[in-house]
Amino acid sequence: MEFGPIFRSMRRNKVRYGLIVAEVALTLAIVANCVNMIRDYKRQLAIQSGFDDDNIIRVTSRPFAPAFKEDGYLDNSLREDLAALRAIPGVRAVSNTRFLPWQGGGSSMETRVLGSKGEMLRNQVYNADEGTLAALGAKLIEGRNFAREETESETLRMRQIFAKPRPTGADGTPLEKTSQDIIISKAFGQLLFPDGKALGKHLEDTDGDQYTIVGVIDRFYNPYGWPIHEYVMFFPSYSRNFLGGAGYLVRAEPGKRAAVQASIEKALIKANAGRTVQVQELTQIKERFQSRTSLVATILSTLIVLLLFITSLGIVGLTVFSVNERTRQIGTRRALGAQRADIIRYFLLENWIVTTLGLALGIVLAFALNVTLVARVSSPKMEPSLVAAGVFLLWIAGLAATFLPALKGAKVAPAVATRNV
Amino acid sequence: MILHNVRIAWKSLKRNRSLSVLIVAGIALGIAVSTTFATVRHSFAKDPIPGKSRGGLYYVRMDSWDPARPYPGPDATLPPTQLTYRDMAEIMKSDIPKRQSGTFKTALYVFPEDKTTQPFRENIRLVYSDFFPMFDVPFRYGSGWDKKGDAGPEQVVVLSEAMNDKLFGGGNSVGKTVRISDRDFRVVGVLAHWEPSVKVFDLTQFQIDTPENIYMPFNLLKPMQLRTFGNSDGWGSSGGQTGFDGFLQSETCWIQMWVELPDAASLAKYKDFLAAYVMEQKKHGRFQRPLNNRVSTIREWMKDQRVVPPETTAMLIVSLLFLAVCAVNLVGLLLGKFLARAGEVGVRRALGASRADIFLQHVVECELIGVVGGAIGLLLSFAALAALNAWLKTTVVNPRAAFFHLDVPMVLLSVGLSLAAGLAAGLYPAWRTCRLSPAVHLSLQ
Repeated sequence: MEFGPIFRSMRRNKVRYGLIVAEVALTLAIVANCVNMIRDYKRQLAIQSGFDDDNIIRVTSRPFAPAFKEDGYLDNSLREDLAALRAIPGVRAVSNTRFLPWQGGGSSMETRVLGSKGEMLRNQVYNADEGTLAALGAKLIEGRNFAREETESETLRMRQIFAKPRPTGADGTPLEKTSQDIIISKAFGQLLFPDGKALGKHLEDTDGDQYTIVGVIDRFYNPYGWPIHEYVMFFPSYSRNFLGGAGYLVRAEPGKRAAVQASIEKALIKANAGRTVQVQELTQIKERFQSRTSLVATILSTLIVLLLFITSLGIVGLTVFSVNERTRQIGTRRALGAQRADIIRYFLLENWIVTTLGLALGIVLAFALNVTLVARVSSPKMEPSLVAAGVFLLWIAGLAATFLPALKGAKVAPAVATRNV
Repeated sequence: MILHNVRIAWKSLKRNRSLSVLIVAGIALGIAVSTTFATVRHSFAKDPIPGKSRGGLYYVRMDSWDPARPYPGPDATLPPTQLTYRDMAEIMKSDIPKRQSGTFKTALYVFPEDKTTQPFRENIRLVYSDFFPMFDVPFRYGSGWDKKGDAGPEQVVVLSEAMNDKLFGGGNSVGKTVRISDRDFRVVGVLAHWEPSVKVFDLTQFQIDTPENIYMPFNLLKPMQLRTFGNSDGWGSSGGQTGFDGFLQSETCWIQMWVELPDAASLAKYKDFLAAYVMEQKKHGRFQRPLNNRVSTIREWMKDQRVVPPETTAMLIVSLLFLAVCAVNLVGLLLGKFLARAGEVGVRRALGASRADIFLQHVVECELIGVVGGAIGLLLSFAALAALNAWLKTTVVNPRAAFFHLDVPMVLLSVGLSLAAGLAAGLYPAWRTCRLSPAVHLSLQ
């Protein structure tokens, strides 16, 4: 192998080879880090809510007619809305709840195991009726769902308790504690009871109000501003008021979503005018929530492609230059008996050495850049296997970019050596 | 002389068109990518109200949160992002700030006079009269209300330009009446076009939303029993309080508070005042966490709220490295291009051109490439930013028009980067070329 001549040639043309080394090193560092970030974004985008996202429609009714200020009118209108929504052909389930998956937030509270004196844990909290789990497509794995009569009576009972200030005891919390049945997510159950079953256990909140776990659902994921995406409790209640309106989740039969969606506004206005109705499919809400992440992933992927193109171009350019400059040397070698394969091998070997030097520097740069990105933009830590894959890819790319110019060099006729000496 | 060099450079570029296209395209791509992502980041990071960000205007926070654990934000050393109603009401009694305003947003139905138009729900911001001068809010007609309007509270509103167009078809609507919820409001002012780069007065959510279109006196909160439509963070026991009054008395944090303190002395005095307020509250059993008041400039508040998305910083870093690769690549291409012309350089040298002449000519050629590439890059990034704005429209509920745009600093940055890239890439090839020995290359002709 021609290591001797290659190293001597490299010493004489430090800058030219240095350029390829720098370019390869930078490319490896950028590509490895971009792919690392893209993989992290893809992981985020792949998280499942645990619900039948594709077939769910969100409906919001916002009243403006003064009649809606009256409790009885609001209750009637809610019942009529639920009936009207259920009557639409193609509807599988309907629910009145404030919960809206994928909106990037919601409401939360703090609870702990009753009597534990332990730390309060934050969890998401939403009202639910008998149709909520069916409307979400959430799977109940233990216990029971809420019943319709239960939702009705609990709504009235809690409304009465909270209609006026509650007398408090010496500790500042209400004297009379309330007690409600709740359904929680499996993940929240595991957080509360790391080594036991959650079903039938009791919780308390910061007022000492109590909750009994009567059901557990398999999976729940709703991205929240605080790290409580998988922790939720549902309590049985309808929810509506004049200022906030009422929210519904409608789940359509597979393939019927668009048709159901088109008839919702008319059906609700027919049931009760004096309000506006907003209808939106959950997939759109989810897309909006994820749009930033998916756009950044797309942009970074595009940058990688452009970058690899430019780097290959640079390697081709420098090899062409290097071949042209050495036309006479090649002719001399050919005249002295070197085969074409020898010439090609020479250039491939030379390029491989240069690329490898670049990659060695690039590995260092890739990890250095990753340290910066981790510190500044909380990107994930670099996985060494990713850098290894990058090294392999750039080796191939380097050899491929060298091959054509080297082939051209190999075609130089031995006679060239005799001209112009 | 330079002009002559530019002409030679232009001829040289035209001679080998495909190579020149490759060279210019490379640099244009690098400039386009780096300018675009510098602008994206800059759009979030820049001074939203030029002149006010370094001082004068301050955002107030106090740590009234749960003694058992810190406020659950990304940084545990920071107090809650907003104040409780009762704390805001108390500290508003201070006469140290030149101006001050608590603020939050709600949503109410607006009933247009024209009965055929549907009522529509609109986000409405509740503010004190000081809000308008504090944020340099420009008025087209009329003005904000006065202290009497605050105290009343009078049923008055200030409309944005867009809302004035929507309700009254533009024109001077001061004195006209608009029905909101179940009350009539008198229009006292109409804003001129007002769009700070980020929604500076409320960075707690939706930071690139269009500002609210209707403003009304804060003290309407109680008579109208308004609810916040922004974030509200609660903790601890309700203390038995229920309903609207319970909410106002609770430890729930939901109000943003701004003060204007013209000099260092008043800033120090106000900080002392806040500390004394918290110490007094501690005696009553509230504020059990360590004293952690923040009186932050807009810049500090933007930093705490992470207004600049980390992805934009990552993309800026990547795009600058991308430009570096383009420049390195350019060095190689130029080196090949220049050295291939060795004979021509030999002739010039033999005819009396000095090395400096040759060097200058080649540097000028590199800069020409930089300028042409930069101009194309700038156009490309203009298109890329327009595409990003179109994307914002489909993903943000209520985005401002052209949130991402090339302003003067970004254009200057782009030009600077183009010249720097051209120079950085061209110096070595130009130097190598001018060092060629004329004799050797002449002999080859």
